[in-house]
Amino acid sequence: MCLMKSKASVNRPPTPDVLEDTPEREPTLQELINIKLIETGEKERLMELLRERLVDCGWKDEMKSLCRAFVKKKGRNNVTVDELIHVITPKGRASVPDSVKAELLQRIRTFLGSAAL
Amino acid sequence: MSSNINGQIVPHPCPHLAEFRRTSSKPFRSLHHCLRIKPPGGRAAIRRDPDEIPCCAACGLSSPSRLYACMTCATVSCHTITVDGDSLSHAAAHAASMPYGHQIAVDVDRAELFCCACRDQVYDRDFDAAVVIAQTTASTLGSGSTAIPPLQPENLRKRRRVNYLPWAPDLHERALIGSCSSPIGGATDDSYHFPRGLRGLNNLGNTCFMNSVLQALLHTPPLRNYFLSDRHNRYFCQNKSIDEGDSGNAGKRSGGINGNKNGRICLACDMDAMFSAIFSGDRAPYSPAKFLYSWWQHAANLASYEQQDAHEFFISMLDGIHEKVEKDRCKPHSEGSGEGLGLLLVTLGVDNCSKPQTIRANSQPQPAGLMVLAATSVSSSSGDCCIAHRVFSGILRSDVMCMACGFTSTTYDPCIDISLDLEPNQGGSTKKAAASSNHACNGEADYSSQNCGTSTLMGCLERFTRAERLGSDQKFFCQQCKVRQETLKQMSIRKLPLVSCFHIKRFEHSSTRKMSRKLDRYLQFPFSLDMSPYLSSSILRSRFGNRIFPFDGDEPDATNEVSSEFELFAVVTHSGKLDAGHYVTYLRLNNQWYKCDDAWVTRVDENIVRAAQGYMMFYVQKMIYYKASDKQVAS
Repeated sequence: MCLMKSKASVNRPPTPDVLEDTPEREPTLQELINIKLIETGEKERLMELLRERLVDCGWKDEMKSLCRAFVKKKGRNNVTVDELIHVITPKGRASVPDSVKAELLQRIRTFLGSAAL
Repeated sequence: MSSNINGQIVPHPCPHLAEFRRTSSKPFRSLHHCLRIKPPGGRAAIRRDPDEIPCCAACGLSSPSRLYACMTCATVSCHTITVDGDSLSHAAAHAASMPYGHQIAVDVDRAELFCCACRDQVYDRDFDAAVVIAQTTASTLGSGSTAIPPLQPENLRKRRRVNYLPWAPDLHERALIGSCSSPIGGATDDSYHFPRGLRGLNNLGNTCFMNSVLQALLHTPPLRNYFLSDRHNRYFCQNKSIDEGDSGNAGKRSGGINGNKNGRICLACDMDAMFSAIFSGDRAPYSPAKFLYSWWQHAANLASYEQQDAHEFFISMLDGIHEKVEKDRCKPHSEGSGEGLGLLLVTLGVDNCSKPQTIRANSQPQPAGLMVLAATSVSSSSGDCCIAHRVFSGILRSDVMCMACGFTSTTYDPCIDISLDLEPNQGGSTKKAAASSNHACNGEADYSSQNCGTSTLMGCLERFTRAERLGSDQKFFCQQCKVRQETLKQMSIRKLPLVSCFHIKRFEHSSTRKMSRKLDRYLQFPFSLDMSPYLSSSILRSRFGNRIFPFDGDEPDATNEVSSEFELFAVVTHSGKLDAGHYVTYLRLNNQWYKCDDAWVTRVDENIVRAAQGYMMFYVQKMIYYKASDKQVAS
């Protein structure tokens, strides 16, 4: 019975396997680092740290009020997430405090040193 | 395009999501196996296999900002928007290139739905519920047979709501009121034009700590209504059998109480007497000597002429009211002394408060009239024990999450007030941004813009409800790991009280230096405060990402939103040092501020209040705050 049901719902193309899509290409150094970061769980820790720092320094609240202001200006039914990201991202990138960037960079350097890529 | 269901704003699904739901029988079933919760207590993510590193099928990059998996064919594409925004992202191109039905995708790192055609986040109730339940079970996993079904605590404390019925006297009641009462005359003291009930309190020897809190309590709307509508009658009170006469000269008569020393004090009776005296129309400063004496008996350790902490007094006296009133509630049958009711002031119910009438009863006690009044009150909800708790008591929720396994234990604690730490004064430029933007959320942006860099009450509340990592020196025992682990603790407000009292911890004790000092730092407080960001429902919601799902405290009706708005009505300020200082209360009546400095009451500008160094702030739920109530200031 289970089989029947699942058969009935299969009306979609076969799931492409992501890893097989790019077998020939050598992964770049950046990608290698990224994979290493994910595998060790360091990326998760870094993201957590970053999240915490950005809350602490008020960056998150700043972004929130920017978003609020934008939504207010455009009218709440006329805003899409894409639009919001498009408008806010440049401001967000620019206003991350240097101290936070430096700390993250230091953490990544230390990681790379210990991971010995 | 949104509708309001269950008190939440529910956006209408976009046509693509609606179509997607219609065409597939079990639209999100395949996703259930792919939901991964990153422990401990992390966000939900979508991975086909736990170790999968998703990357865009078109460009092969695995670390662009947003990766979406198509809900129909599971193709992962990135959605990096080009600066000019004219060329399609890979996700959008995928949706456009495929036959109709590939628009809905899921963010692989956030497990949130996105419509690639509308280029907007979309919400689906079933999907969100599945994610929330997966996240909740992940944090309670392994508690074995005693595993509580997810989200049970949310339903444990369903309050029974009694519908509000405005009371209007019928003919019989009208006649009764008319025959037994006469209206209190207009402003007897024309020199003041102050609202009724504004009366100085004499300092009885370093008792400004008491006077300041009493002034706030005397003008706490629900408390005032309770006592002025004769819900606690000192002549009928069971706890006390003394025939103490007119409260106005209680100070002179203090000798009469001495014979009654066997602990039969009732602070509520003294409050009742005080309310009668304060609202009698007499403007001469009142001496709360009898109250002080009763309080000394209640709190013997504080009985002295020394300076005391106003907050300590507040807690102690509410405690006193709680103890006594609890025993004798709903037993007003024994007739007290023949002296009658003295003053019976009636403030009519919430809806009629735009012009509350004050009526004075004749000196004859009228039990029938009492019954009428008692019947008007909404039957007290179960669990609320006394007037002090009914007005001030809220419920705090505390979540302690194990950092190793993600197991979360939740406790609910009643609270009378909320003590807040002043923000540390490291004062970087970044801190300023936090303070000012917080302020903007609460609608006083103009005031904050010129003033950024100061700490605000919202900032304190935000810190109060922020998740706090408990260090290795204060590990908690995790029920699941069976060892002490590092934990993440987060407070939130499960139930708001009718009146919120915020106590600012201005007295700092340093155990290492063996000394205490007072923090004179300025704290900005808004006149209107929205408490919704600090509610458990909001705090929990933020843990699960953007979802449509009812969380702890979300009421089935939309009343929650209304009752999270508060208005400031009293501020107790402290000036001076730790060991010697002075308390002054600012009261807001008829939207006009008055400074109550012991026996002196003066009208002040609101900017003076804003600039004051607040020690205790009293906020009342907006729906029971009478902005233009009582009497017209200029009659």
